Amino acid sequence: MKKFYILLVMLLVSVSALAQNGRALYEKYSDLPDVEAVYISPAMFRLIGRIPDVELQDGSVNFGPLIKSLSGLYILNIPQSDAAANLADEVNRFVKKGNYELLMEAKDNGEVTRMYTVGDDKVVNSLVMLTRDGSETSFICLDGSMPREQLEALIADAAKD
Amino acid sequence: MKNLDEITRLGADDLDRISLDESIPVPEELATRIGSVTKPRTRRILWSIPAAAALAALVAVGIGLTRKPALEDTFDDPYLAYAEVEKVFSKISGTVAYGADKVSDTESRIDKISYWK
Repeated sequence: MKKFYILLVMLLVSVSALAQNGRALYEKYSDLPDVEAVYISPAMFRLIGRIPDVELQDGSVNFGPLIKSLSGLYILNIPQSDAAANLADEVNRFVKKGNYELLMEAKDNGEVTRMYTVGDDKVVNSLVMLTRDGSETSFICLDGSMPREQLEALIADAAKD
Repeated sequence: MKNLDEITRLGADDLDRISLDESIPVPEELATRIGSVTKPRTRRILWSIPAAAALAALVAVGIGLTRKPALEDTFDDPYLAYAEVEKVFSKISGTVAYGADKVSDTESRIDKISYWK
């Protein structure tokens, strides 16, 4: 009987762990009414990776190498509602449980944007951006094996423009 | 009466022969004594059947949750998908740029205050 309870607990823990990622949130909220949802699969990223680098260049910023390291993009835009509040709560829980690090927080006229990353010194495995203003909640999750140096350089370059 | 060593040396035929020998008296309390030594297994069987069924159901649910259907790509065209990725990076960069601007503004204010002091 004891073994049965241990198995039960392990199963429940693994099921709850499964629910804690960008994909699970996308699956949960993308079909709700009035929700704008975008998903780009690893296969599509491989196709994008075949586009010549010259075409992947936007001004001085070359997105090419970084895009090739991505494996999934999930975007959800939800108008202000209970679902939007729930999404924000779930994102906050999942970044906490997933040991995400707060990269930056910006607050402007009631709009709050938080950016989180998880990975190590060399690679960023996931980048999450959550923006909330009075009318909408926006969630962006980028998964992959992004070289941290490239990601930071790209953001810094783009910020200069 | 035979001792334990003698019993272990007996073969299967010998044991059969002895068990069929009705001349050997069977102690009256033997059945009761055997019953007190062996544990009844009915209780364990009773709870183990629903437990096994519940575990099987949970495993099935677990497998069902892990085997997710493939998500459908929003774009069929890699160029459109790339445009969306570019928009995301622009949004990220815009947020970082906003933060950098605020830091820069604050730094210049601090510089002015330091100058007038």
